[in-house]
Amino acid sequence: MALIEMENITKDYRLGETIVRALRGIDLSIDRGEFIAIWGPSGSGKTTLLNLIGAIDEPTGGSLSIGGTEVRALSDNERSELRSETIGFIFQGFNLVPVLSALENVMLPLQIKGASAKVARQKALDRLREVGLSEFVDHRPFKMSGGQQQRVAIARALVNEPSLVIADEPTANLDSETARMIIDLMRQLNEKDRTTFVFSTHDQRLLDRVERLVRLEDGRIVDGGARS
Amino acid sequence: MKKWTKLAMRNIMRNKRRSATTLLAIGVGFAAITLFYGYMSDVYRGLRMSAVQGEGLGHLTIYKQGWLEKGKLDPERYMFSQAEIERVKRLAEEEKDVILATPQIQVSGLVSNGTVSMIFIAQGVIPKDDATIKGTWAALRPITGEPLSERKSYGVEVAHDLAKYLNLGPGKDGVVMAATLGGQMNAMDAQVVGVYDSGSDATNDKYMRFTFDFAQSLYDTRMAEKIVVLLDDWRKTERMRSVLRTKLSHAGIEGEIKTWNELSLFYTKVRAMFGMIFLFIFCIVLVIVVMSTVNTMGMAVLERTREIGTLRALGLKRRGVSQLFALEGALLGLLGSLIGAALHVTVWALIRAFPPTYVPPGASSPVPLTVALAPQAVVVLVFCLILLSLVAAILPARHAAGQRVVDALGHV
Repeated sequence: MALIEMENITKDYRLGETIVRALRGIDLSIDRGEFIAIWGPSGSGKTTLLNLIGAIDEPTGGSLSIGGTEVRALSDNERSELRSETIGFIFQGFNLVPVLSALENVMLPLQIKGASAKVARQKALDRLREVGLSEFVDHRPFKMSGGQQQRVAIARALVNEPSLVIADEPTANLDSETARMIIDLMRQLNEKDRTTFVFSTHDQRLLDRVERLVRLEDGRIVDGGARS
Repeated sequence: MKKWTKLAMRNIMRNKRRSATTLLAIGVGFAAITLFYGYMSDVYRGLRMSAVQGEGLGHLTIYKQGWLEKGKLDPERYMFSQAEIERVKRLAEEEKDVILATPQIQVSGLVSNGTVSMIFIAQGVIPKDDATIKGTWAALRPITGEPLSERKSYGVEVAHDLAKYLNLGPGKDGVVMAATLGGQMNAMDAQVVGVYDSGSDATNDKYMRFTFDFAQSLYDTRMAEKIVVLLDDWRKTERMRSVLRTKLSHAGIEGEIKTWNELSLFYTKVRAMFGMIFLFIFCIVLVIVVMSTVNTMGMAVLERTREIGTLRALGLKRRGVSQLFALEGALLGLLGSLIGAALHVTVWALIRAFPPTYVPPGASSPVPLTVALAPQAVVVLVFCLILLSLVAAILPARHAAGQRVVDALGHV
């Protein structure tokens, strides 16, 4: 069974009197362990599609299941639990909590889930070691470079051992060298743990490394919807 | 809980200037309430002492049924006979909480120095019992000359202004005149033994104090108007009233018992006035605390909208977001209250070290401005302000929690 199943997904936004059709009938299936990029021009619906896959937004029509669970049938609390159990997020702007250290930021998803401080601390330390930040555990985000912050964000996304990681333009705010490091790191983690990575990007370096490309235009998949 | 408290505390410290302003507003408001409460408590304590000891009302006053309504018209009918005085005294003094029960009689008439006459109102008291009732109060208002004594039954005390107007200092002789209960004019020689300050401008020019026997003689009676009961603790007043009421009833004595605060009109009025002022100050502080907290939390929600979106994306439920902001509000209340408590203790210590004095309206001499520490009020107010800040934070917290995750994440 596929990890993500989308059938005829539509998403409309109301802008004043105008209805904007962001997604117009998306059919997409993503298996466990895939490393998949969604790309396309600005306004094509990439971020909207990622938001739906990440269960932080609701489709207007169609069916979306994550790990066999129909997302539209879930309450807000159940969607929160689904995100906590199954999904990790990496944001373009890193979105670390500024008053927490690197270690505390990585511990956060586990603590939201109700893990004890001891367990959360150990798992977070392991993940920070994995992303090469053992020396920076006590640093606050503002004392870290963009690359280091994104690595903390990756550690945070993976600390719950999710089956799916959503990354919205993860290399957009990074220089070339740091972007290459981040891409390598995500690929390694994908190969090691068979964690599914779905991200949106314009970055050709990242597009060169993915195993599957889904191209969006005007809210429709124009290429890569079906597995090659 | 510990981790969320830590996060909430760090969030409060995020915008130090804004949080400091809010904490100061809560702290100053807290200190204003507790200091005024402490001042009020001390004024109440002073007025209670003044009523019970100074005015000699004791804690309970037993009248014969009907005295307060019709006693002036037909005094003999509503006064205690000698036998009744003894019975009531015995019944009251059987109780271990009763220090003493003593008969008194109030008389009024004219006092003359031989040339000039002025009206007077005098309390006839048993000197030994009166000294017990006055207790420590006597030291606060020292008498010029000697206090009343059984040894000199014609000796009288005169209030300060009355003595001045009649030029009746200690050792001087005068004449007191009054109509007896039978309606005959009676006059008695008296010697001033002491001059005292009644504590009030309104009474300093007419009050006198006689021995009980002298007052009875002036009214040509062996009866008493009332029996004053002194307890070992004012907090037992209501309970003892009920006990004595039952005992009098069982003994077949139709009595009416008034408490010291029912008889001290001044105490009741001051208490009502301070109650209103306290409520007014409390309402102002309540508005300040609520507005400051709502403003601080509202700004925090606005500034941290993306962060809220991130926490929600990581799986934190709406309730979790609400609780986090409510916790921040409660912590603001707690920290503000602690600042307020520190301010309260500092001001209290300064007042104790350098007590200022003032003359209250109607008083004849300055009194020290004192403030009680009021630890119970401080603790209660800490809980009140924590709760208030928490409630004030609920609205912004609900707003924070109610946002859609995508909208919050997209907030700039």
